[in-house]
Amino acid sequence: MFFYRKFFRKKRKPNTRQTKQANPSSKQTDGQNLNSDLTSNLEKLQMLFQLTPDLIVRRLRIHVTGVEAALVYLDGMTDKSTINNNILTPLMREAHASNDKGDIPFTNVGNVGKGSLWSQVETAILKGDTVLFADGRPEAFLFDTKGWPQRTIEDPQIETSLKGAHQGFLETGTQNIALIRRYIPNRELKIKELSIGKRGATKVWIIYLADVAHPQVLAELESRLSSIDVDSIINTGELVEYIEDNPYSPFPQIILTERPDSTVSQILQGRFSVVVDGSPSVLIAPATFISFFQSIDDYSTRWLIASFIRLLRFLAFAIALLLPAIYISFISFNYEVLPIQLLLSVAESRTLVPFPPLLEAMLMEITLEMMRESGIRLPAPVGQTVGIVGGIIIGQTAVQAGIVSNIMVIVVASTAIASFIIPNYDMGTALRLLRFPMMVIAFMFGIVGIVIGMMILIAHLVCLESMGTPYASPLAPFRWADMKDTFVRLPIWKLVNRPKNTRAVQSRRAGDNRRNGDMQ
Amino acid sequence: MKKYALNEITFMQFIFLIHGIQVGTGIMSLPKDLAEKSGTDGWMSLIIGWFINIIASYVMIQIFKRFPNDTLYDLLNRLFGKWLSLFISIPVTLYFICAVWLILIRAMLYIKAWFLPQTPDYIVVFLFTIPTFMLARNGLRIMGRYCELVFYLTAWMPFILLLVLGDSHWIHLLPLFKEGMMPVVKGLESTIYSIAGLEITMIVYPFLKNKQSAMLGIVIANSITILAYIYVTIICFAFFSPDEITGYNQPLLSLLKVIEFRFLERFDMIFLAIYLFIVSTSWIPYMFFAAFSVSQLMRKQDHTPYVAVLLVLIIAIVFVIHPSWNQADMWSKRVSIYNIGITFVLPLLLWVYIQFYVRVHKGELH
Repeated sequence: MFFYRKFFRKKRKPNTRQTKQANPSSKQTDGQNLNSDLTSNLEKLQMLFQLTPDLIVRRLRIHVTGVEAALVYLDGMTDKSTINNNILTPLMREAHASNDKGDIPFTNVGNVGKGSLWSQVETAILKGDTVLFADGRPEAFLFDTKGWPQRTIEDPQIETSLKGAHQGFLETGTQNIALIRRYIPNRELKIKELSIGKRGATKVWIIYLADVAHPQVLAELESRLSSIDVDSIINTGELVEYIEDNPYSPFPQIILTERPDSTVSQILQGRFSVVVDGSPSVLIAPATFISFFQSIDDYSTRWLIASFIRLLRFLAFAIALLLPAIYISFISFNYEVLPIQLLLSVAESRTLVPFPPLLEAMLMEITLEMMRESGIRLPAPVGQTVGIVGGIIIGQTAVQAGIVSNIMVIVVASTAIASFIIPNYDMGTALRLLRFPMMVIAFMFGIVGIVIGMMILIAHLVCLESMGTPYASPLAPFRWADMKDTFVRLPIWKLVNRPKNTRAVQSRRAGDNRRNGDMQ
Repeated sequence: MKKYALNEITFMQFIFLIHGIQVGTGIMSLPKDLAEKSGTDGWMSLIIGWFINIIASYVMIQIFKRFPNDTLYDLLNRLFGKWLSLFISIPVTLYFICAVWLILIRAMLYIKAWFLPQTPDYIVVFLFTIPTFMLARNGLRIMGRYCELVFYLTAWMPFILLLVLGDSHWIHLLPLFKEGMMPVVKGLESTIYSIAGLEITMIVYPFLKNKQSAMLGIVIANSITILAYIYVTIICFAFFSPDEITGYNQPLLSLLKVIEFRFLERFDMIFLAIYLFIVSTSWIPYMFFAAFSVSQLMRKQDHTPYVAVLLVLIIAIVFVIHPSWNQADMWSKRVSIYNIGITFVLPLLLWVYIQFYVRVHKGELH
């Protein structure tokens, strides 16, 4: 599966072929100025927004100056109470002498802008701003009244944590930024805004610590983001496929998280996070293989326990990847490796099974994958049924019917449990997929096949890079300093420096916090 | 001009690259070869081999110190011109190709003999070529990373041998120098094949990030290798009696056969399978150097197509001639003579030539 990469040698050059039909509406408005006559402006507006029943045009007379005006906004994209109380009321009722000079009308809205181009007005309305046209003025005022249906902050669903914060990201980009900024109220926290997609113009923010993160990685990330030429980005997962280094790899090369606290901890380590408007997951780069085995809980449990759990995860990785393959190779190829007693008991449980080991293992593994996949999208009460059906039918009856052996059920169950331990969903799925080629190669070549499979896997891991950072980083190239937080997690006060694999320019992140000696 | 800056390798990667290349299939039969030539004093010839290697690498470093941005091929071009240099660079390229060939064949023979007697040999070689192609088509930096990672992943393996110490008799090693110095020197012949790999310094040197410590790196890499060999040899000598050991073709594997757990009967199979990782750090870098050399001869920048071509050629030749153990032994004798030429004679001649060259071209060097 890796070697087909050679047929698709990736060349990341910007897409020079421009799509002809892209964004037809902007053609009509590009570079056109607003008229100073209100009626003709409104006519033009009606022409631009045909078949838009949710466009509200409210004509009014500004109380102070007596000028005819019109307020335009999209129903549903705007916050009604803001418009009613903070724009309409002051404009129509209050008599403060304020905008004689003609700068900004007297309203109670925080963010007010001006636009004299139709394209500006159009984007503003579409993004949920309210636009005020006044008669005799060749410009419009843009009030920030964005407000659309949102859900409230909830516990993250995929990355649950025991002791971490119970706030997950939302679908609104600005709120996600706020969730991040709450942890780092520092002016070095820089946010670069980009917009991706010709039609959707999805807003995307790169968030990083300016004095910590490596500028070269930033430039790389920015150039990759800005070279994307698509209609729209719906989800962060889509964006990841456009910018990752090696799209043909089964391994995730960029972390997707829905936890603000782990995002912040990554930013503090010198990584970059990208918030995508409209998606509840945030992207973190550069990532290393090891970083998919770290969870935010590791830092809030006692370090010995955290280290133990981390080692457990690596063990689980090996089991989930190799156990079915080892079973197959020991049963069908290298049976001389097992002592005779063990071999007999295995053979005894397989006497009734009519299938060759590979087919037996495939059958069980695919059933398991199906059960898992069906369980994800079922509502909770039905999901239990799947468990019962799976447990009883697969576990008990299949063995009694002689379709699979007892040992196979044990193998499949332990691989299932092992693959659930991986804290990152994407890495877990990569693992689930890789198990199958491993099984096939083990069936064909036995232990040697497994070793060759591992060699291919390691070769692939060694070649991978994430935003120019070696993917296998603290291991190859080996970095002794990063070992403090790789297989084990040493006490927090030992983690004085940021990890080297983030290429942080400012490496020290903590002072000497160890309490030493007797404190009386 | 630093045209290799993109692929700089670290000090540690340099060490493990050399060490990885040196330790290959040789270790399996080394104790027997040594015992045949020099009896139980054989391990001492390893120390002499270590010393000779250090001297050779010192000469290489002395040459390339003056031309820190040159690989061997750049240097030859500089010294002898575009066409004359081919008289040396073609044999060097051929040497690398022979080295890949030999290691791949030996690894294939081991795997075929112990695991896959029914599988055709070209299929086994094809299996090896997949990771080889994936790695060797990349730069030297990837080789360094791979060798480094594999070293750490397999560092536990020597300790397994300690399990047999209970059945060993150290008396087998005594007396030292029982037949004088001559057997020890004789044993050198069979060590040369096992400690080959130093010659890559002549190509790796411009890729080194830290050129001052190149010598130190070579010494460390050599020491690790030789220590591993001495360790294995001494354990084998202590375990088998001096007469018995020459009866085994691969004493190391026979020794491992003794190790047994209640849940695992043939631990030697697993050991040998995992040992394939260590062998791979020998043939994969050699493959890289072979393809790199060919690309240098062809005066091309990208060496990826040559990796593919060489691998396909190797599979094709295996398919046609079906190499046997005897052939492999014969070839390895020839390659070790070839290796002496490349590792020891060539640097010495170059060094002498450069002494004159520098005198003549004073001031034009940089």
